[in-house]
Amino acid sequence: MSGVERRSFLKAGMTGGAAVLLSAAGGARWAHGAVVDKRRVYVVVVDGCRPDEITPAVTPRLHALRESGTNFPNARSLPVMETIPNHVMMMSGVRPDRSGVPANAVYDRDEGAVRELDRPTDLTYPTLLERLDGTGRTTATVLSKEYLFGIFGARATYRWEPEPIVPVSGHAPDAFTMDAALAMLHEADPSLLFVNLGDCDRVGHSDLTGTTLAAARAAALVSADQQVGRLVDALTATGRWAQSAVVVIADHSMDWSLPHRLVSLAPVLEADPMLAGRVQIAQNGGADLLYWTGLESDRVRAVQRMRELTSATDGVLSVHTPDDLRLGARAGDLVAYCRAGWRFSDPAPVSNPIPGNHGHPATAPIPLFLAGGLVPSGATSSRRAATVDVAPTVGSVLDLPAPSGGYDGSSLLA
Amino acid sequence: MTANDRPSPRPIDRPIARRRFLTGSAGTAAALGLGLPAAGGAATGPFRHGVASGDPWPRSVLLWTRVTPTPSAVPGSGLGPDVSVQWQVARDPGFADVVREGSFRTGAVRDHTVKVAAGRLEPGTTYYYRFRHAGSTSPTGRTRTAPATDASPAGLRFGVVSCANWQAGYFSAYRHLAAHADLDAVLHLGDYFYEYDVDEYGYGPANTTIRPHDPAHETVRLADYRRRHAQYKSDADLQALHAAAPWIVTWDDHESANDAWSGGAENHQPVEGDWFARRAAAYRAYDEWMPVRMSGTAALGDGEQLFRRLRFGTLADLSMLDLRTYRSQQVGNALAGIDDPARSITGDRQLRWLTDGLSSSTAQWKLVGNPVMIAPVVFPPLPAEVSRPLADVTGLLPPDGVPYNLDQWDGYTADRRRVFQHLADHGVRDTVFLTGDIHSAWACDLPVDAGTYPLSRSVGTEFVCTSVTSNNLDDITGSPPRTTSLTVEAAIQANNRHVRYLDFDSHGYSVLDVTPARVQMDYYVIGDRAEQRTGSSWSTSWATDAGSHRVRAASAPVGR
Repeated sequence: MSGVERRSFLKAGMTGGAAVLLSAAGGARWAHGAVVDKRRVYVVVVDGCRPDEITPAVTPRLHALRESGTNFPNARSLPVMETIPNHVMMMSGVRPDRSGVPANAVYDRDEGAVRELDRPTDLTYPTLLERLDGTGRTTATVLSKEYLFGIFGARATYRWEPEPIVPVSGHAPDAFTMDAALAMLHEADPSLLFVNLGDCDRVGHSDLTGTTLAAARAAALVSADQQVGRLVDALTATGRWAQSAVVVIADHSMDWSLPHRLVSLAPVLEADPMLAGRVQIAQNGGADLLYWTGLESDRVRAVQRMRELTSATDGVLSVHTPDDLRLGARAGDLVAYCRAGWRFSDPAPVSNPIPGNHGHPATAPIPLFLAGGLVPSGATSSRRAATVDVAPTVGSVLDLPAPSGGYDGSSLLA
Repeated sequence: MTANDRPSPRPIDRPIARRRFLTGSAGTAAALGLGLPAAGGAATGPFRHGVASGDPWPRSVLLWTRVTPTPSAVPGSGLGPDVSVQWQVARDPGFADVVREGSFRTGAVRDHTVKVAAGRLEPGTTYYYRFRHAGSTSPTGRTRTAPATDASPAGLRFGVVSCANWQAGYFSAYRHLAAHADLDAVLHLGDYFYEYDVDEYGYGPANTTIRPHDPAHETVRLADYRRRHAQYKSDADLQALHAAAPWIVTWDDHESANDAWSGGAENHQPVEGDWFARRAAAYRAYDEWMPVRMSGTAALGDGEQLFRRLRFGTLADLSMLDLRTYRSQQVGNALAGIDDPARSITGDRQLRWLTDGLSSSTAQWKLVGNPVMIAPVVFPPLPAEVSRPLADVTGLLPPDGVPYNLDQWDGYTADRRRVFQHLADHGVRDTVFLTGDIHSAWACDLPVDAGTYPLSRSVGTEFVCTSVTSNNLDDITGSPPRTTSLTVEAAIQANNRHVRYLDFDSHGYSVLDVTPARVQMDYYVIGDRAEQRTGSSWSTSWATDAGSHRVRAASAPVGR
């Protein structure tokens, strides 16, 4: 986070003796009942969860929650099916060509480097977090991943900085994340609480053996399920349930590739005389963003050549312009998707050894359901739903008008 | 013909076992008088082939009948004058509130068939229709438009049927299905009739003819196909089901000839003339006699494209496939070629249309009307006593032990891989194949890799309905129902873990109930096909929950 910011801190004690450090914008009060309107929305992202993984046996709490509320089995993540852009779509309600956040990683032409979109300034569109804050309501973020904490920065009234962080994965385990979410609930009682539980995704990425993957994944699901259960129990115990809307969603789902099923485009493009040394690749697991860095006068021809070579590469599903996918200029000149069971590994075949993977259309199906006293119970809707619909849904619960220019999504309660 | 006017069943060679489920069912269709011949001996009247509707769109539905204006103007005769037939569509069965009406000119050039696309109707609405000619009124049919494209219906209900062989018995399955109230449509997945000669293919192990085909020879020429269509449509049970709901049909092979492919058919010999002339005759008669919009229209002669897509709001769309017109020839008795990527069961254009439609669909359930089974079936070694009859009935297992039915998707594995891979690559959810052809009932997951299933991914599900009358395994072996077949079924399921349900013995129909939460197939079985008034009973139900790509047992059928 940049700039001088006046913040207040609160150290909340948790059961078991641990403490959670929360921060707030200058002037925000740490108090119950700070907001007159009692309606509350809790958006809980089970990062990387597949819709078919929610079952009575493995995830009984999530399953019961889904059965109790309104389910959207036709829900999908939107391009690029990665964590940061879909979290941004949830909170902004607009597509990447309006928010400036098309992927986890882009090639930054100004800096001349591939980097993650993890800075507050990367997100150029207002989100619910600050828009609600300006209407007498309060908001809070409890995000397990460092880069999510990074991009959402100080937008919310109250924040938690993820810790402790698992070194390789860069995320806080779900149990700690939920400790923080419950502390936030009790100490700040925000109108909107945005929570990301990262374990399911991180287990999918971190397990390299394949053989234990199913067991590890199930363990992560069981854990995430318990954490969501803790939130539901807290809402019930504190009498908030009747005035709550709980949105449970994944940002994308998960696909697994065999070790040899990888696509490495850099060597293919570098072998071409026109392209050699003039193409940058931002690898996003199941999607590669390709950037022409040569002369502007050669761009059309060069992009055509990139498209030909990429399309002809084994494991590539399709190649699109960023406009086709509403990704905006930051996504470069072309976006390549891989097929199910494959992954991109750029710039080198050893760059991405992770079998669990997303970013490509195979990982678009996501769980999405609403629960709580403010939403219809026991319903299932066949409408097409997406991550971008979360913001307008929250807005409809909390009577927040659409932003200037309107949402790209629509309320799931309409 | 009314039921009482039928000829008595021929004597048959062995006692007809009175099977289970002889409970009758009083029909809604009967209660409304739908599809039943009008008073005054309609079997000889101008509307003796009943009425039908089909291919419901939100604003329009296709209406069908055949008029017999003079005694000599019988089907296939080429005789009879050009005449006008009036049609009416009303909101009520008493026709107090007629919303659309018109006149249609027909004649011998189209075998006196009538096909009208009644338009400007309201979406998701039940209508009643009838025809009039020279003072006679047809039976009344009930039909229903599809929901508006942007509507979100709470549910849809379809009858699902296939494989009705006139000579093998009576169409009680149609009668009992017609008794289910509020069907949105009936899906007929092929083998609406059989092309065979009298005594060539009938009931049980001796192929006994319960009632003989007309004409009394194999259908080859246009007049033959017209007469065969007409004979089937003289059946009161078939008429009742046509009158009860709009039909959405596709053909399999027997509407032209057994094991048809793009350039011929197993049951077509050079002495029968040019295959393409025969097929053109079969297709022409089909277009005349079936309530289907070939090439998207009610008109005749403007195209033979049968594959098409119907939309039912945001809840479902339905892609109906034609797996005969464009397919490569079946491979011989060796496995060589089944995975040849140059061979196709759909043809390139239809495959692209199917896969593009599946991945671009915004409907929740992607239903596919699929004439032959797509789930892979790998057979274990079986005793020869079983394997030969099994091959006879389903073609599933050639007697030399080659482990595939080369006439279904198992014989065209490159195309199947393209479809399954496409579903996986594009994250297509909730695709359900609805299948006929093999005279047995199945419920299956659709594994990308059957060898490692269930550890590997499933990309959808398949429900297969059994035959209306065509022989299945116990009919061929002559063994009592649920004896020999149990062993076979268990062996198949042990070797095909994605096959969750299998019944090789029963005849009947299915009801498919679609809601946003799940798709459920209820399997109903009838008693003896040789018994005209045999009863029907619920057998079992299987469902797939949204997003699961797995089938599971369901505890009870949906209500009627």
